Amino acid sequence: MLEVKEVSKLYQNQRGVHNIDFSMSRGEIVGFLGPNGAGKTTTMRMITGYLNPTRGKITVDGMSMSDHPKKARRKIGYLPETPPLYPEMSVESYLKFIADLRDVPARERKTRIGEVIEKLGLRGRERQIIRSLSKGYRQRVGLAQAILHKPDLLIMDEPTSGLDPNQIIEIRQLIKELGENHTVLLSTHILPEVSTLCNRVLIINNGKIVLDGNPDQLDGTLGENFEVSLEVRGPKDAVIRELKQIEAVKIVRELRHDLPDGEDRPIRLQVTARDRSDIREAIFHKMANSGYPILEMRKRSLSLEDVFIRLTANEPLAADPGAGETEELKEVGRDA
Amino acid sequence: MRRVWAICRKELQMYFYSPVAYVAFAFFFLITGYFFSVDFLSSQVVDVRPLYGNMMLVFLFVIPLLTMRLVSDELRQGTDELLFTSPASIGEIIIGKYLATIVVMLLLTVCTLLYPLILSKYGTLDQPVLWLSVLSIFLLGAAMMAVGLFASSLTAHQMVSGIVGFVLILLLWLVDWLGESVFGKAKEWISLFSIVSRTNNFQKGIFDIAALVFYITFILMFVVLSINVLERKRWR
Repeated sequence: MLEVKEVSKLYQNQRGVHNIDFSMSRGEIVGFLGPNGAGKTTTMRMITGYLNPTRGKITVDGMSMSDHPKKARRKIGYLPETPPLYPEMSVESYLKFIADLRDVPARERKTRIGEVIEKLGLRGRERQIIRSLSKGYRQRVGLAQAILHKPDLLIMDEPTSGLDPNQIIEIRQLIKELGENHTVLLSTHILPEVSTLCNRVLIINNGKIVLDGNPDQLDGTLGENFEVSLEVRGPKDAVIRELKQIEAVKIVRELRHDLPDGEDRPIRLQVTARDRSDIREAIFHKMANSGYPILEMRKRSLSLEDVFIRLTANEPLAADPGAGETEELKEVGRDA
Repeated sequence: MRRVWAICRKELQMYFYSPVAYVAFAFFFLITGYFFSVDFLSSQVVDVRPLYGNMMLVFLFVIPLLTMRLVSDELRQGTDELLFTSPASIGEIIIGKYLATIVVMLLLTVCTLLYPLILSKYGTLDQPVLWLSVLSIFLLGAAMMAVGLFASSLTAHQMVSGIVGFVLILLLWLVDWLGESVFGKAKEWISLFSIVSRTNNFQKGIFDIAALVFYITFILMFVVLSINVLERKRWR
């Protein structure tokens, strides 16, 4: 559907993108992640033909953007970061203009406009002047504009930015529906959005793609050590001593606890292995032998946030954040 | 072609949905109306020439006002991303926009016929002079619109594009005066670039093919320049 081959865009001030290389197949919803200024918008602008790449080639459904720009652009629907609206126009006259601009056949124009108005919940607001619409509705009109000509490929630059939580949920729902019929590339810096919407994620940093994978399988991709969080009933020092005796265990840390201190208080620990091998069985046997019941044991996987931060932070994170005080907070964040 | 008309229609909607066109028209007719009454009352001569001479001067102020938002506004609002990622080429976009200004110019020119209509009540007008004068201000206005369009494609700021458009038109105007202060070959060369003196023959009642060709090439040049300026933006 979309092929981006060794594409670079160089600006005079050095920022830009370098050798971006990926492809998308029909029906995929790809989340494009990256900190501000990483090159998301630049990449999207090159795909849509707004900017020409300095080097490299972009092909949309077999049509090269440089050789057949009109044919390629006809296949793309694009919602830029700020929806490209004319505030003076009414929703209806705006969509009519878009239909003419995007080569929607004149016969189908009316039905097509009716369809998108229905789909995006703009019924009853056709005659309203765009200036008087709320931000959420403007975003809908922007989306209507992008799908009016039934594009194969839908590109959206931060479709939910600047909306209130209800509107975000609405727009996400819409994107999900659109994903059933379109191939979608959307950029965002809201991470949960990617987990809920996308079946693939691309992380870009400093103009380079640093990760390309499935949001659910991200934890395995980083070569991190195996981590287990553990809840055990027993004397703290003894339990930690026992755990440290296991060959494969590297670090044992206690996680903070809300419960009052007491004999029966379970202790929560985080155990990190020396490598990526699974240490859960070893822990189970060790604790069972010593007679300390395990109340809970869970393999810790990296959330998208962790992956994102690790990949895009410029300095490597400390391997062992010795103080466990802040750990509980992060932990809660992950469970939520 | 459909895309060109779509852009042209949209631009016309923008002109008449917003106060811009009305303000510009009102300003134009306020000033020309003033000149008309003063001239006609004092001279009592049924002649359109002083009238159309004055109108050209008013164009200098009105036309940058009409063209300043043409492209600048798209760049500022981010709607250029919509236009430049649509199947329409930049050529089609610019031609569509220019056609809209031509329609506005045509409307303005037709409205000015009100003055000769009033004059015709008091005497007979020299028909060739009248119609060729009307043609001459239309051509001059269209040429100025092209300059304004070019100025607008340079920047995302309406005010800046308005001022640049005004200054460019003013320079093309001043060429005439510059031509008068030098002699010989230089004078001939400089007067070639004058957009105002080309109307002289028309206003004498002579159909000047050379001037017509001049205006058309002049317009083409600025339209092509605008297209090129915007085409370069893809390579920023």
